[in-house]
Amino acid sequence: MELQEKLNEIFCQVFDDDDIRILPEMTANDVEGWDSLSHVNLIVAIESRFGIDFSQKELLTFKDVGDLLNCIRGKIAS
Amino acid sequence: MPFNSLNYLLFLPIVYLVFHFAPERARWVVLIVASLFFYAFLEVPYLLAVLLLVALTSYGFGIWLDRARSARARRALLWGGVAANVTILVAMKYLPFLSENLRALAALLALDSQIQPVRAFVAIGVSYYVFQAISYLIDIYLELEKPERHLGYFALYLSFFPKMLQGPIERAGDLLPQLKKPYRFDYDNVRYGLLLFLLGLFKKVVLADRLGLYVDAVYNDVHSFTGLPLVLATYAYALQIYLDFSGYTDMALGAARLFDIKLTQNFNQPYLATSVADFWRRWHISFSRWILDYIFKPLQMQWRNWKNWGSAAALVAAFLVSGIWHGASWGFVVWGGLHGLYMAGSVFYRPYQKKLHKALGLEKTRLLRCWQVLVTFHLVCFAWIFFRTSTLADAVYVIRHFAVGAPPTSLTSLKVAIKPLFMSTGFGEFKVLLAAAFVLLIMNQLLCGLRSGSASLSAIPGYRRWISYYLLAVGVVFFGMYNSASSFIYLQF
Repeated sequence: MELQEKLNEIFCQVFDDDDIRILPEMTANDVEGWDSLSHVNLIVAIESRFGIDFSQKELLTFKDVGDLLNCIRGKIAS
Repeated sequence: MPFNSLNYLLFLPIVYLVFHFAPERARWVVLIVASLFFYAFLEVPYLLAVLLLVALTSYGFGIWLDRARSARARRALLWGGVAANVTILVAMKYLPFLSENLRALAALLALDSQIQPVRAFVAIGVSYYVFQAISYLIDIYLELEKPERHLGYFALYLSFFPKMLQGPIERAGDLLPQLKKPYRFDYDNVRYGLLLFLLGLFKKVVLADRLGLYVDAVYNDVHSFTGLPLVLATYAYALQIYLDFSGYTDMALGAARLFDIKLTQNFNQPYLATSVADFWRRWHISFSRWILDYIFKPLQMQWRNWKNWGSAAALVAAFLVSGIWHGASWGFVVWGGLHGLYMAGSVFYRPYQKKLHKALGLEKTRLLRCWQVLVTFHLVCFAWIFFRTSTLADAVYVIRHFAVGAPPTSLTSLKVAIKPLFMSTGFGEFKVLLAAAFVLLIMNQLLCGLRSGSASLSAIPGYRRWISYYLLAVGVVFFGMYNSASSFIYLQF
């Protein structure tokens, strides 16, 4: 399964909405319920699903889904 | 030089004219000289030295941070720069509080304390520009911004006079590019700036200071009151602090507009918030953004494996910092702690809240919205008690005596109950307050499109514009309260 699809599954689970279709340019404003409290659940779910750890600096500089995808891709590759 | 003083009303147009006619390359010099003169007018010489120290330290650390290559060196430089700024802030604001509490602790433990009482410094403006300097360094560390190489522009970013004493706390990425872009005269911009300035002055001298009469009558002597006057004075304080601070902010934004600079809007109808979190998206926005981005989010992410408990702990910690930022007193600590606890509570309550609203069939109804606004307003008012009273004992007295005495059941008993509130000021001032509140409502209608930028002043019919100017001007000239002791509430922070 492609990375974006895997990430999409996590989004659907965390935000409890099967209709979410993520795109690289999407931000928190585009997904209902994506606020600072649910964001932390999203991050924890991604870390456990892919077995990776984000650094503080990475977590504080994600601007959109594209940044998140690139960071996960980089970590899986290394 | 307070914004509501005659000196400022002379200073502002003179600076504007010099700025307007100065050659482009000299304009930043006009603004920095004006800002330093404005700060020096407080007649506290060491404040200029503190500003210079913060500017030089943060400028230096910013450039070193950018040059450093290893992650370790960058982190060390970030902490070095932040620690230098925090040390300056603590030295200016918190030493008397720290020494007093350490002495009390030593006495409690029966230790022989050698700690001497410390004299308080005047620290006007310091909390605001130190917070800006810290945000600048963190943004460079996160590679969101490049460091400013021009010391003059950097110093101006910290000290631009319309926002130096009470904010808004500007991000480097928002303000620095505006300070550097060529000035362009725009009649509509200047006209709107002046209208905002006048509206802010109206809020301050006609409404906030008049409400202050009633608030002070009760809150400067709380032990003489019980029941309804305490409740009404608390509501009045909630309105006073909003009008005082948003009045100041309008004046700051208006003055900055003259120089073709748009500062951050600090308020968005905060008392219509439907939750405490929503309140903080509408109240002192530049400050709450700072607390959210630089304290809450890093802590929340650090503690992310504790799930909801991590978010709750990060909220309490962030709002305790917010409380202490306002000043060195336990009242502010409790105020911040209460807001932290409100929101920490909602972290756990939120999943059930939605289900409850659904079960009651109230989801997205107007009734629910009204109820949420009412509850949020009262939670905020409850916390304001600790913000306004001089001591924690006074705050506890107010809370314990809200409900003393039977509630008034007739108009006569209501009159008797609220009479103490009007003892020193009478009903005349109250009528002016009501009339002024009505004018403010009209102005809000007029300005709502302008604030969001969706409309321009020229689109408003001339007669409506002129009626507004006259209403505000008459209010400010004939009903303004110009007491030299009346400074803006947020100036002390």
